[in-house]
Amino acid sequence: MPASATTGSFLPPRLLERLGGLEVVAKTVVRGFLAGSHRSPRHGAGEDFAKHRDYQQGDDIRYLDWKLFARTDRLHVREFEERSNLSAYLVLDASLSMEFADGDDPSKLRYACYVAAALAHLMLGSGDAVGLAAFGAQPQLLSPPRARRGQLHDLLLQLERLRPAGSGSAADVLDRVGGALPRGGRVVLVSDLLEDDDGDALVASAGRLRARGDEVIVMRVLTPVEAGERGGGPGLFFDPERPAREIAAVPEADAGYARRVAEYYARIADRLRERGVEYVALTTEQPVESALAAWVAARRG
Amino acid sequence: MLTLGAPLFLLAGALAALIPLALHLIRRRPPTRSPLPTARFLSEDARSSIRVSRPTDRLLMALRILLLLLAGAALARPSWAPAPRGTREVVLLDRGAAMRDSDAWRRGVEEARRTLIARDGSARGDLVVFDTSAVHLPQRRLTGATFDSLAAAGPTANPASYAAALRAIDPAVRGPRGADSVRVTMLSALRRGGWRPGMAALRQAAWPGAIRLPNVASSSPLDGAPISQAETRQSAAVIASGGAGRFVVPALEATGWTARAVDRLPAVPSDARLIVAIRPAGDLRALAQAGATVVLDLGGAGSSMPRWLPVQGSATRQRSDAGDLWFGPDLQLPGATVRADIRPKRGATVLAAWDDGRPAVVAARLGKGCVVFAGTRLEDGALPLSPSFPRALERMARACDGARTADAMMPLDAGARAILAGRGAAVVNAAADGGAGAVAFGRWLMAGALLVAIAETILAYRPRGAA
Repeated sequence: MPASATTGSFLPPRLLERLGGLEVVAKTVVRGFLAGSHRSPRHGAGEDFAKHRDYQQGDDIRYLDWKLFARTDRLHVREFEERSNLSAYLVLDASLSMEFADGDDPSKLRYACYVAAALAHLMLGSGDAVGLAAFGAQPQLLSPPRARRGQLHDLLLQLERLRPAGSGSAADVLDRVGGALPRGGRVVLVSDLLEDDDGDALVASAGRLRARGDEVIVMRVLTPVEAGERGGGPGLFFDPERPAREIAAVPEADAGYARRVAEYYARIADRLRERGVEYVALTTEQPVESALAAWVAARRG
Repeated sequence: MLTLGAPLFLLAGALAALIPLALHLIRRRPPTRSPLPTARFLSEDARSSIRVSRPTDRLLMALRILLLLLAGAALARPSWAPAPRGTREVVLLDRGAAMRDSDAWRRGVEEARRTLIARDGSARGDLVVFDTSAVHLPQRRLTGATFDSLAAAGPTANPASYAAALRAIDPAVRGPRGADSVRVTMLSALRRGGWRPGMAALRQAAWPGAIRLPNVASSSPLDGAPISQAETRQSAAVIASGGAGRFVVPALEATGWTARAVDRLPAVPSDARLIVAIRPAGDLRALAQAGATVVLDLGGAGSSMPRWLPVQGSATRQRSDAGDLWFGPDLQLPGATVRADIRPKRGATVLAAWDDGRPAVVAARLGKGCVVFAGTRLEDGALPLSPSFPRALERMARACDGARTADAMMPLDAGARAILAGRGAAVVNAAADGGAGAVAFGRWLMAGALLVAIAETILAYRPRGAA
């Protein structure tokens, strides 16, 4: 598949335009096996230049700006931004429940792909190494974290190939990601968090990652109908991951439905936050770019 | 004011609309099976309490109810008319020559005045005065003086044309608004001269309702007689004896005469307009001079040809190789056994000729009437058995123009009067004719029902998942 086509599919121009000026600011300082760009001899001056300042005794004369000295007859040294690279894993829920869509909105899996693609674009642009993992029928580490130029294309290709299947748990894939990711990395889980054990294993796995120094972000994706924000007519309903069990109900007339859903996610969110895991609630009717922009703005604050 | 031509259809439509409503309420669609990942958070209802109704079901039900209501309303033939303002009168007043009889004209004008002028002097309709053509006097121009002028002017010498009167009805009934119904009256002496073939179709097209035909001709034999009992046929007498006349009488009956055979002259009815003599009956000249048409054949003329006949020659000079009589290219009468060599007198007219061109039937006016001499025996040989025999006799009976004029002044027969009167209602709702300010909108309702039916079909048979 051509790279341009893939990129166009997941990163529409409108999204890129909104995200172009954003920058992911990591809260956790990690040490990457790659040195910061200002210390690396491979990094030339110019791209990461920050500002000039007056020369002071003890400064490395290699950073004196001789051209400026020739023009102004004053000594200035060039300062560079110190930067460090981290490894990140984007973990996508590709279980059958993610296939659900509400009206004209994209399915939850599609929406999760949009979010993952946007994050990959941002993080790769910041020099971070980004990998991809997914779980559905079974946990899969689809692409190890890399910071090379073609990584975005590879990630988008993997996202395109994702098909919903099975009913796996996020805990397994998080554990595998923890084994494959250096300490101090970042894990972003995009899922509907509909777990059999009410999220116990998921919370435990996320806690383990956090305990070893990883930054863990859990993005919950849900449709308005699932959240109870939009009424549904009467019918026989079944969980796509457990189709044998049917429930005769009228969601729009079920006053407790929305409350129960909210309580479920509130419990998971509280337990995640107790372990230092960041929790972001998204619905498929939200524009992806505005959701991400709000998230990044919150992290900066 | 809303008027329904057939209100039962509206009731039927309303009742029929209850059927889709009841079906919609009774029918239970099996609940659809839908995936919902958060189904675990739903509280389960009893399956029997789940009643599924798609939004399109309600729209379909509304369309079906609307369709039946519209169809019922359309079939009820609704019309909207202004509030009732009475009946507008349209009077067709005959001003032809026939109205000269006695005081027919005066009576006609007075009847028209009574019909059209209210007690307060205001006009309540239109007047159409006609003879060979019609003049429409609209309501706004009618006053009592109008009728005074008409009475003083008197009728014209022209024959009346009922066709002209019928054609004037439509513009007269479509006159100024202000009444919810229309009644048409014709005041005429009703003579045959005004009637033309094909008048029935014109009458039907001219006005859907009945036309009142009050009798205004006091001298008419129809005075006081209902139409059904009116004298309609002219009287004819066939002077014959010993079984003679058995062909002529039915032939005359077939052409509209009331004929009977008599054996002598005094037995001829006084009102006989036609006398056919096939045996000598004495002096028929007086009857002809009085206005009747006298037809004589060789038998009626006898051995000595009367001098008042329109021919010269001798009845004794007869030939057995008679041949056919030609009354014109359209009428040939074959089968004559004898013929007389005759010559028409000055002023006489040859009605028919033999094959060799010699005169066969000659006619001439005599006094007020007409004398016709046929140079053969009318009931001999195969001549009376010919299909054209009645028409030939009729041609002889109408030989003189004077006779035609007299016929024109004869009263209109019952059949023609019935056609002229029509079978519709005496007072016609203006809405039925689409005039006088009424609006019939049944067809628009039917068009609306058709559109609703199309919308219902499209919605009901749309592809699945389109909704």
